[in-house]
Amino acid sequence: MTEAEKLATLSQMSPTQTALVIGGGVSGMQASLDLADQGFNVVLVEKTPSIGGAMAMLDKTFPTLDCSACILTPKLSEVARHPNIELLTYSEVTGISGQAGNFKVKVLRKARKVLEDKCSGCGDCVEHCPIEIPNEFDQGLGFRRAVYVGFPQNTPLVYTIDDENCIKCEMCVKACEREAIDLAMKDEEVEIPVGAIVVATGFELFDVSKYPRLGYGEYKNVINALEYERLINAAGPTAGHLLRMSDGKIPKSIGFVQCVGARDVTNQVPYCARVCCMYGIKNAVMAKELQPDNVKNVTVYYADIRAYGKGFEEFYNMAQTRFGIEFIRGRVGEVAENPKTRNIEIRVENTETGEYLQHEHELVVLCPGILPPKELRVIASELGVDVDSDGYLFVEHPASNPVDTKVPGVFVCGCAEGPKDIPDSVAAGSAAAMRASITLAKGGEV
Amino acid sequence: MSKKIFDPNIVAFTCNWCSYGGADLAGISRIQYPTSAKVIRLMCSGRVDPVMVLEAFKNGADGVIVSGCHIGDCHYSTGNYRTQVRFQALQTALESIGMDPQRLRLLWASASEGQQWAEAITEMTEQIKKLGPSPISGRGKK
Amino acid sequence: MGSGESPKVGVFVCHCGHNIAGTVNVEHVAELASEFPNVELSTHFMFMCSDSGQALIREKIEELGLNRVVVASCSPRMHEPTFRKVVEEAGLNRYCFEQVNLREHVSWCHMKEPEAATQKARDLVRMSVARASLLEPLEVKTVSVEPHALVVGGGVSGLRAALDIGDRGFRATLVERTGNLGGNLAKLSTLYPNNEPAKDVVDRMSLAAEASENVTILLNSEVTNFDGHIGNFEVTVKNNVTEEESEMKVGTVIVATGFDPFEPIGYYGYGDSPDIITLSALEEMKRDGTVLRPSTAQPPKNVAFISCVGSREEGVKGHEHCSRYCCTAMAKVAAELREEADEVLMLYDDIRTFGKGHEDVHRRARQEHVIFSKYNKKKKPAVKINDSGIMLKWNDVLSGENCEFRPDMLVLANAMVPPEGADEVAKIFSLTRSADGFFNEEHIKLAPLTTHTAGIMIAGAAQSAKSATDSTTQASGAAAKAVSLIARGEVEIESTVASVIDELCSACHTCVTACPYGATSIEATKGVEVARVTEAKCHGCGTCAAGCPSGAIVMRHSTDDQISSMIAALLSSAFVHGGGEK
Ligand SMILES: Cc1cc2nc3c(=O)[nH]c(=O)nc-3n(C[C@H](O)[C@H](O)[C@H](O)COP(=O)(O)OP(=O)(O)OC[C@H]3O[C@@H](n4cnc5c(N)ncnc54)[C@H](O)[C@@H]3O)c2cc1C
Ligand SMILES: Cc1cc2nc3c(=O)[nH]c(=O)nc-3n(C[C@H](O)[C@H](O)[C@H](O)COP(=O)(O)OP(=O)(O)OC[C@H]3O[C@@H](n4cnc5c(N)ncnc54)[C@H](O)[C@@H]3O)c2cc1C
Ligand code: SF4
Ligand code: SF4
Ligand code: SF4
Ligand code: FES
Repeated sequence: MTEAEKLATLSQMSPTQTALVIGGGVSGMQASLDLADQGFNVVLVEKTPSIGGAMAMLDKTFPTLDCSACILTPKLSEVARHPNIELLTYSEVTGISGQAGNFKVKVLRKARKVLEDKCSGCGDCVEHCPIEIPNEFDQGLGFRRAVYVGFPQNTPLVYTIDDENCIKCEMCVKACEREAIDLAMKDEEVEIPVGAIVVATGFELFDVSKYPRLGYGEYKNVINALEYERLINAAGPTAGHLLRMSDGKIPKSIGFVQCVGARDVTNQVPYCARVCCMYGIKNAVMAKELQPDNVKNVTVYYADIRAYGKGFEEFYNMAQTRFGIEFIRGRVGEVAENPKTRNIEIRVENTETGEYLQHEHELVVLCPGILPPKELRVIASELGVDVDSDGYLFVEHPASNPVDTKVPGVFVCGCAEGPKDIPDSVAAGSAAAMRASITLAKGGEV
Repeated sequence: MSKKIFDPNIVAFTCNWCSYGGADLAGISRIQYPTSAKVIRLMCSGRVDPVMVLEAFKNGADGVIVSGCHIGDCHYSTGNYRTQVRFQALQTALESIGMDPQRLRLLWASASEGQQWAEAITEMTEQIKKLGPSPISGRGKK
Repeated sequence: MGSGESPKVGVFVCHCGHNIAGTVNVEHVAELASEFPNVELSTHFMFMCSDSGQALIREKIEELGLNRVVVASCSPRMHEPTFRKVVEEAGLNRYCFEQVNLREHVSWCHMKEPEAATQKARDLVRMSVARASLLEPLEVKTVSVEPHALVVGGGVSGLRAALDIGDRGFRATLVERTGNLGGNLAKLSTLYPNNEPAKDVVDRMSLAAEASENVTILLNSEVTNFDGHIGNFEVTVKNNVTEEESEMKVGTVIVATGFDPFEPIGYYGYGDSPDIITLSALEEMKRDGTVLRPSTAQPPKNVAFISCVGSREEGVKGHEHCSRYCCTAMAKVAAELREEADEVLMLYDDIRTFGKGHEDVHRRARQEHVIFSKYNKKKKPAVKINDSGIMLKWNDVLSGENCEFRPDMLVLANAMVPPEGADEVAKIFSLTRSADGFFNEEHIKLAPLTTHTAGIMIAGAAQSAKSATDSTTQASGAAAKAVSLIARGEVEIESTVASVIDELCSACHTCVTACPYGATSIEATKGVEVARVTEAKCHGCGTCAAGCPSGAIVMRHSTDDQISSMIAALLSSAFVHGGGEK
């Protein structure tokens, strides 16, 4: 189908048979699948060039250390291939009106400059592009061209040209045998009738440079956890080699600092981010697993270890007994760089012993909390739903109706409702699909 | 220079539900154990025909493990009761062909028992190393 | 592809990023495999499951006319369905696919022996190539789905699931073994995170369920018998009061049997003083009115809480897990008790107020001057009871001091454990259980609601300890899986069943006694007695085939020949390559 045909079909959807899902992370993907499997049509709108959300960036997942790509990739294909799912990536919702059973949703199709129906994902264009810029998907650690996919499993496997950096040299246009590149492509808007809406916009990472005392941005060997995930990922910028940024050496000693931008009233993040303890432990274990002989010391600095979920406490125990990870209870006061070695000294009070410690690590990983995405407030106000004091979507009856917003026909799942790990996000995605399917089946009547 | 180390070859029949899952869990938990055992995945330990076990020995296996869910936990409710009964018969049969019954082991391992799986393989490997290569494999006589 | 065609096997070895390639020399394995019998192509690739990996398989099937595919990657328990679909898309029958587990069974558990791991990988691939050469295409069958769901357990999880299925327009039968709906939630006072009275929640949901014309509620009832397969299960439900049994057909099941509050006998003087109670008991008191000290019936003045009672005990089977609800529940009541009590003390290990709104509950307790003290996990608090009451002694790790407190009431934050009868439930529905005793999901990350038994879902505290919010989320999610099945109306089932070769059968009845499902019977066809398999009843375990003395039973997709070929491939090579020695 050409883009024009696709937009024409979308504007003619039958609202009582169609749901909109906003956000293509793991929760939005699951919501889409569970609606589509019931026979309903789903329009899945994702603002980046690919679905997958944060999970696509992760290396392993706690508590089983399953590799994230291995388990996510088939889900990506399943969504992309499902006959009832219309995938609109590189797109944004710009307006919503109407009510349950009959919403009108405006979707902006940002000009990707590559025709989705023509591009085969061969990547022949890439090497001809003279522009190199930091790859957002790799947290800026690796590079991409102006014509790019963020990661090899980009779904759909269609390249994107980022207009901001493209110099219109047309080298890619010439390179593309399939004539898939159209540098003159314009943004388009389409209005789609839908009967129910699922918000699955996920989270944004807390910006750790808000704590200048922790040295992020100032010292090269202080990085954040998502950067670390990319660093140890086989498909990441270093092909999975754990090394530090200042000199490319394997760090022999690594410190993980927990609760950076979480449980902190003064920085407007009073809540617990629910995943950092566990991803901190996971990443600590991974250092030992990747470099059992080189990495001698791995220490996690924490306030409480919140290993609450299925298999989590057991994993936490294993990290200590089998992998010899050290755990020190204490909020890190500040860090300083040794200018000669570029090593990082952590200053922390061990609250269990009262000792004041100065520990030197060759690499320090800050484990940030998570925030609601900035545009969530805009989407919420378009929808007429409330946000809670932490900025996530408000749910009135959490015990009985945990995915229902106050507006009939509008549901929420995953981190859009508050921080969650993958299985809880997936379960919520299924739940939102269930509730949305009731609205559709009843034709919007509540 | 080439000092030969005897590295046993063990055929491990597992059921798909508990034991295969337990072996998966051992890997997921990164529990390390010897490479000796090669798994043949069957739906239920009840699928293990004694003839197959004997065939494995006749082909030169140094050991055989039959592994299934704990009694009472079989995915097919009672499949492993059969396994248990057949196993006893097998042990007698082994003796009659001159094979040390220690080379055959029945292991109940649930999907949460990665540790048990790894330990059993480790133990069995050690045990067979002591017994030496299977008399049938012909390697023992070198 | 006909079964008579000679096998052309394609072998695809996956790097899985570092996961396999970090230990196993995958290039070498692929190279060796190209020499194995019937192998037409052997290659390796970064991620076989990725879109491009999948495309590679399809491409090679078409290009080279492969008719059997072996993928050497991760556990088939995760990706067998993925790859079966891939070969199907390229026109091959799904049963012509075979997967080798080089990750969970090789690279991850032999990380320090790359050479031996590579040899084992080679052996496993050789075994699978041998089996693949003998694989037969099988017909894929679909069955209709009975438009009716069974929900087991009438707590908030079961209620949520039944209500959703009913509201969606399908029939649900809710079976609850007690005389009341609401489960454990009905015993609580108010709920974190928003202080909603538990009674309001239970009333709202049970009234709706009772009013729904699609939902049938069977109280005082339990499932006693269960048979059949996805789409068509036969269920017997027994009413424990009237002793009456009823039978029904359902297409799918949601198990929401919840938890039991742990009875902490032997912990912290529980049972030795009436004033030492569990958090569950305290909640019941609060629900029923006021909290009174049991021995005096007066409001308590000094209350102490101890966390993690029966939870987080490393090495203690069934008690290693965190119970996930207690920290927040404890902080909430502790703050509330401060309105009356002079001192409220909370002894904890970590404070796990992780969920939405939980930190607010935690902060409120601090604002109310609840005293928090982190106890020493290795030297747990000691409780002494004498005439003057309860004496609590512990080591506060943060100050290093040894402390004492004389509470007039001591509350133990008791664990969630699997409910009584969970063994039976696991057996009836063929569910496996994790080390903590709760039911296992199909996949801990991406399939938390389905189980390894097709058509059966789990939700709520039945899957692991959790709050009401997390429970009802799972329940709605499980309901989505159930209604998908019903809405589609039909479902594919495995063709991997037993069949009898009449000529070989001696009608000895061995299979009839072996089959756990009564799927085999002896019938007279054309005057001769032979065994018959009722395919709809056969679950494909193969117990009959293993027992048949005449070799008359063929287990489709797990034939004697297929299994023997693997044995031979492993062991014959040991002679050739000296694989058993190095
Ligand atoms: C460093 C780190 C490590 C982690 N490790 C683990 C782990 O090991 N195990 C685990 O279980 N969990 C882990 N997590 C948590 C996990 O990432 C989340 O549970 C999961 O990503 C949540 O999925 P989601 O769909 O709710 O949100 P997201 O993954 O954030 O997806 C949201 C999607 O919505 C899109 N979107 C946002 N706004 C809009 C809009 N306005 N319009 C259209 N689209 C929009 C985004 O682009 C994104 O694709 C980790 C998190 C971090 C930060
Ligand atoms: C002291 C305490 C305080 C809590 N406070 C809060 C709170 O403030 N907020 C919050 O969100 N959560 C709280 N929780 C957690 C909450 O109670 C649970 O999350 C919730 O009850 C789980 O619901 P469920 O339906 O999964 O299980 P359950 O409530 O256990 O219900 C299971 C039902 O299944 C029935 N059943 C069991 N076996 C069978 C069988 N074989 N056949 C038929 N029926 C069967 C049982 O009789 C029961 O009715 C608290 C828990 C405790 C113990
Ligand atoms: S734009 Fe053209 S050259 Fe680039 S990936 Fe797509 S098809 Fe290939
Ligand atoms: S929730 Fe808190 S009290 Fe309960 S087991 Fe977990 S850590 Fe212990
Ligand atoms: S394989 Fe045989 S024993 Fe197993 S269920 Fe089928 S007929 Fe019964
Ligand atoms: S299924 Fe495991 S022994 Fe029967």
